[in-house]
Amino acid sequence: MSKILVSLPKTIIAGIVLTIIMVFATNYLEESNKSDAEKLISDIIK
Amino acid sequence: MEDFIVFLVRYLHVLCGVMWIGILWYFNFVQIPSMAKIPAEQKPAITKVIAPEALFWFRWGAAGTVLFGLILAYMNGYLHQALTLQQPNIGFGMWMGLIMAFNVWFIIWPAQKIALGIVEADADAKPAAGRRAMLFSRTNTLLSIPMLFSMISAQNATGF
Repeated sequence: MSKILVSLPKTIIAGIVLTIIMVFATNYLEESNKSDAEKLISDIIK
Repeated sequence: MEDFIVFLVRYLHVLCGVMWIGILWYFNFVQIPSMAKIPAEQKPAITKVIAPEALFWFRWGAAGTVLFGLILAYMNGYLHQALTLQQPNIGFGMWMGLIMAFNVWFIIWPAQKIALGIVEADADAKPAAGRRAMLFSRTNTLLSIPMLFSMISAQNATGF
């Protein structure tokens, strides 16, 4: 981990990678937090 | 009136956040990479004058950002949902901000006090403290990228 942090470009790339992981995790959690009614409405909208 | 207070708290949250992350990025994008290029006799200008002043606004910017951010989340009624990740779009950003503020106050600032000679310490302790402060400052720079994405997307984007 410290090998990444001593390099500024590697730190920025790691930050972008973490952002992408966070987007997927956010989508996953939002879907799993939805009630059955909300899921049904989402499916109809899609 | 309540809308105006919510706006005011949000404004103060952003104002403190710009102060905090602006100085964080100054440290990581400007000061740390430049230190090796500065002649030894000029280094005290950074370590004795600029860095202590920047660290003052840095840590209080962090405190203000967290304080006004938590008040804002409470006033908008999503504090609990965000912190328990029932609203993950803002929740991830809030947790990263809290971790970053913890790093500032309880790791970076104590380490910088040793590294800059603000408190008495062994000569051997200074380089280790300087490295610890740098690594955690870099950790905060890393976390600032997804944290800001989370904060901005929760306000302005749908589908995240």
